[in-house]
Amino acid sequence: MRTKIHWAPSLLALAIASPAMANDLNINGFLSVGASMLDDNKASIAGADNQGGFKNDTVLGLQVQKQVNDSTSATGQLVSRGSDDYSTEAAWAFVTYAANDDLDLRMGRLRIPFFQYSDFLEVGYAFNWIRPPSEVYRVPFSSLDGVDLTQRFSSGSIDGSVQIYYGRFQGDFNTGTDVYASDYRNFAGVALTTNMGNFGTRLSYHQAEIIMDTTDTTTALGAAVGAAGAIGLVPDGVDVGTATGNAALAGLTGVGDASAAEDFNFTGQTSQFVEAALTYDDGTYSAVMEWTALEHESSLFLDDQAWLIGVAARIGDFTPHLTYTTEKDSFDSGKEGEIQKQLPLESEQSSIIVGLRYDYDSGTALKLEIQNNDEKTALGADGDSATLYSVAVDVVF
Amino acid sequence: MKILKHSCSILLISLASSLVNAEISVIVSNNNPNTAIDQATVGKIFLGKTKSFPDGSQAVPIDQDDGAAARNTFNSTILGKSSSQLKSYWSRLIFTGKGTPPKQSGNDAAVKQLVANNPNIIGYVDSSVVDDTVKVVHKF
Repeated sequence: MRTKIHWAPSLLALAIASPAMANDLNINGFLSVGASMLDDNKASIAGADNQGGFKNDTVLGLQVQKQVNDSTSATGQLVSRGSDDYSTEAAWAFVTYAANDDLDLRMGRLRIPFFQYSDFLEVGYAFNWIRPPSEVYRVPFSSLDGVDLTQRFSSGSIDGSVQIYYGRFQGDFNTGTDVYASDYRNFAGVALTTNMGNFGTRLSYHQAEIIMDTTDTTTALGAAVGAAGAIGLVPDGVDVGTATGNAALAGLTGVGDASAAEDFNFTGQTSQFVEAALTYDDGTYSAVMEWTALEHESSLFLDDQAWLIGVAARIGDFTPHLTYTTEKDSFDSGKEGEIQKQLPLESEQSSIIVGLRYDYDSGTALKLEIQNNDEKTALGADGDSATLYSVAVDVVF
Repeated sequence: MKILKHSCSILLISLASSLVNAEISVIVSNNNPNTAIDQATVGKIFLGKTKSFPDGSQAVPIDQDDGAAARNTFNSTILGKSSSQLKSYWSRLIFTGKGTPPKQSGNDAAVKQLVANNPNIIGYVDSSVVDDTVKVVHKF
């Protein structure tokens, strides 16, 4: 919350304080307006329902960048999302110090470089989809407060960068049904990207210690686990089995199996995320493959893997594209896995996305998209399938 | 697909023939020590992938205005990208604070004058306007 209030005036002060460099003030923005309609309400995709709506894919972003001196610049980006009731948030607010031409040090609010498209997650104009597939792009927050270091390199026909970051994210963790105050400490990671001709690769690793404030909900743990499918905190002395009404779990904790109960704790346990991506773009045909895996030390979250493969062809101003994406949970081994199987946690789903992008002019794109989502398993039960029809206009300025 | 490919190549051929007369020169100031810069390096400078000339001095690329004939030729030949592809490329960098596109700096005459007056600036103009106030480092 604090960032939301203070960053704007200080940026403004910077801008006013140095009129001599006023022409180095860059203001850019992006706006996506989308409408979507689900054919029925059995499955859930991108927050849409069968009544149609404009809200979920509508995003406005405004960015101000100011070169303060030769080596230092300040960047702020305010984003207002329809899916978040248009509340405005600083997605980025950082100071960059360029140590040399190839080494940047940034400090402030930064985007976490989880994915291939993380850096411009909300800039719809920068990709073909209306929104990155949620099977893979499933982490419910995207920024942290911290520092990062980016070293660019270039050798012959290969160029690329290594980014290392460290920070902390405190904020709401929205599971879709519940919101928890969460604290991700010692949040750190590294991302390596390389480009060679038409090919690009990206590898990244991330980890964080997760602390969730579930004081209000510990007594309703069963409901939390059931509804959210994942979240909960099991403090010492709380009988998980009784809370969830689950006989198997009650049996375990009832006989005083402390180690199993401990594994379902959610305080201070580490979660890890790994990603690998390969891209190809020869100007006419392009392809992207991205694979990701989440691994939680806590047994209250299921580990999962998700990947996507997409192809597109540019034909004049039209870009038809096709994507397959899938996500599948996996159970821990041993006793913890047996308990997980009893809980309503497991999910497995896939989507096929067919879309068409039309570049109306350089700066405006019109997009049509049909997504068929097949939920094999949703929260441990048999899932449904549904089709989402979407249309969007993306503008950058 | 075959039909599509075919019509695409016809489109490309007709596009190429309409541009065949316009030779473009990449220019720097006479005070710039670099004598020749290859296409790959010109591309890297204009895509923000390098910030220096081959001799190590700072390179500041400038663009012609949107829609200028020289700009379209430059984008498709040197950078190999259409204007919307370039817009998409730059929006990925702009909105991450990682880079800003070259400044739009007018037409052939305006670019030539800016280049002549600053040894760090690199630009491109239609070869017909080149004179001894600037130095050609690449031609296509």
